[in-house]
Amino acid sequence: MSEAANEKPPLQLKSQKFREAREKDWKALAKQIDRAENGGLRKFTTEELLDLPVLYRSTVSSLSMAQSISLDRNLITFLQALCARAYVYMYGPHARPGVIVRDFFLRDLPRSVRALWGELSLSTLCLVLGIVGGILMCMADPSWYDPLVGGMSQGRDLNASVDDLRKTIGGSESGEPLAAFSVFLMSHNTQVTLSAFALGVIGGLPTAFLMIVFGMSVGAMVWLFASRGLGPDFIAWLSIHGTTELTAAVIGAAAGFHLARRIMFPGHLTRKAALAEAGRLAGTAMLGAMLMLVIAGFIEGVARQTVTEMWARFTFGGVMLVFWLAYFIAVGRLRKPRPPKVSHEVRHGQT
Amino acid sequence: MARPDLMKGGAVALPFTDGPVTPVTTPEGVVLSFRTASFASRLAALLIDFLIIILAPVVLVILYILLPFEHLKFDNVKMDHPFIQALFILFVLIGFFLRSGYFMLFELGPRAATPGKRVMKIRVISHDGGHLTPSAVITRNALREVELYLPLTLALQASVNGGWVSLVALIWTLTLALLPLFNTSRARLGDFLGGTRVVHVPRERLSFDLAEQVPVTSPGLSFTPEQISVYGEKELGVLEEVLREKRATTLRAVADRIKTRIGWVEPKIASDIPPDEAFLRAYYAALRAQLEGRMLLGRRRKDKFDE
Repeated sequence: MSEAANEKPPLQLKSQKFREAREKDWKALAKQIDRAENGGLRKFTTEELLDLPVLYRSTVSSLSMAQSISLDRNLITFLQALCARAYVYMYGPHARPGVIVRDFFLRDLPRSVRALWGELSLSTLCLVLGIVGGILMCMADPSWYDPLVGGMSQGRDLNASVDDLRKTIGGSESGEPLAAFSVFLMSHNTQVTLSAFALGVIGGLPTAFLMIVFGMSVGAMVWLFASRGLGPDFIAWLSIHGTTELTAAVIGAAAGFHLARRIMFPGHLTRKAALAEAGRLAGTAMLGAMLMLVIAGFIEGVARQTVTEMWARFTFGGVMLVFWLAYFIAVGRLRKPRPPKVSHEVRHGQT
Repeated sequence: MARPDLMKGGAVALPFTDGPVTPVTTPEGVVLSFRTASFASRLAALLIDFLIIILAPVVLVILYILLPFEHLKFDNVKMDHPFIQALFILFVLIGFFLRSGYFMLFELGPRAATPGKRVMKIRVISHDGGHLTPSAVITRNALREVELYLPLTLALQASVNGGWVSLVALIWTLTLALLPLFNTSRARLGDFLGGTRVVHVPRERLSFDLAEQVPVTSPGLSFTPEQISVYGEKELGVLEEVLREKRATTLRAVADRIKTRIGWVEPKIASDIPPDEAFLRAYYAALRAQLEGRMLLGRRRKDKFDE
């Protein structure tokens, strides 16, 4: 047994020296991350804030070094966990809320919707086909009305008299809990639009189906009122919130079609990358559609009962439609870049 | 040497090699190997969140009953009373938020995790290594509609009405809900579409360095190079676990195994026989010194079979 070989004093190993030299930084970073996770960044001084990325980078480089010189498993596990936590914190989603909101409305949302123009025309086509189909079907055979409109009719059925029908589109004199009901409808419609979007991931056909059926029920109601001589009144009543709601539904379905298209035809990207890209674009448009539905809900709860004149209703609905079209067509366009220089600046158009 | 060996059947899990790993290249160019969150921990997190979502309205109702709204109880007030309407609106809005906004809000927060995820120590990260963007969080959570709520609703409706629809809905629910089991990154549909992954981010404590605790002169505890070069890095890791756990029976068993394997000769005098822990510490230090020395020269030895 050789005597001399293995009697080593402590700190003989390179990994031990390495640890001794850097340990202080790691512990400092661990403390800062604990603080940041618990109390947010507000309590940090400017110096500490500036120190954080420095500590993070040095710890990350410690990790890659430790992996090649140290066999202390506890040390490596600790560094991996620390770097992971720091990474999650540093690259987490904590942009300032104001910036997120501004970027979303003035840039991301209108751009995403514009990028979907092909799918938008398809979903508009589905909706129009549905409406026309609903009218034609009911004209041919009124018994189609019940299956098409179903439980949502609330007394607007085939047996209703002209007066009854007029009442359902009148102002609020009956004292029903209409405001509360319209909030319920708003949350319901939002879920329906979410479904139209989400159904896109199983091929797009269900989305088309949903849009056509939706259009048919609208068409059937149009037919009912028109056949009783109330056509323009009904359309005026519908237009108040309908211009917002139908636009939102069209956008939601278009987002769903986009998902379907990118899943089936990923193009030059891998399917996984195409999915991630499609998901972000369609998700942004979808969020816009949901917000529009909330607005439609408010309009439904308030303006429907207070705006009663036909011309006023048409004006209100028309103004909303023009507003949405202008917003989606014009806002957030890139400033035309001067030929070679690529500018990342964004013009924030007026809403 | 075909005899059974020390590390066979050791029940010690290696903390950073079990389960699938999600490698993420950070903008600094370092590859961080996150442990992919397991299906079970994601399910547990979801259940915790659901519990909160379900309990919140219950708490609100209890609060309403406890607070002095005696003159406004439902039985003596009409449904169109403005106060009742306002309450109803509030309730619908809260329900709407709990269903659609809860996940988004928490995952957009500084910890990128819902309370359930925090309990399970898992986090949402961006798969490409960059910032986790709001649109990614929104997309991954919007897909919950089609992955979870819609099939659940359909299945519930169909189970009341019966029919083939229930079967289709059930298959759909199962396919989408179990999707994480069928891909290596344990990602659900919303993760693919948002470009996100859910990973395990535990908090680890930095312990002392075992090599530091070896006494400078340990009489009778020296090993020949041949005795040391029996084992590799994997065995070193297991030895470290054993030493940190310090369970007397394990220490004894492992020490005996090593002694047999390296042909250790016990000192003649009984008082010179080192205790098991001291023996193992000394062997750990010697083995680590040798392996790290080889490592610096670019020769790693994975385990005892690696030459």
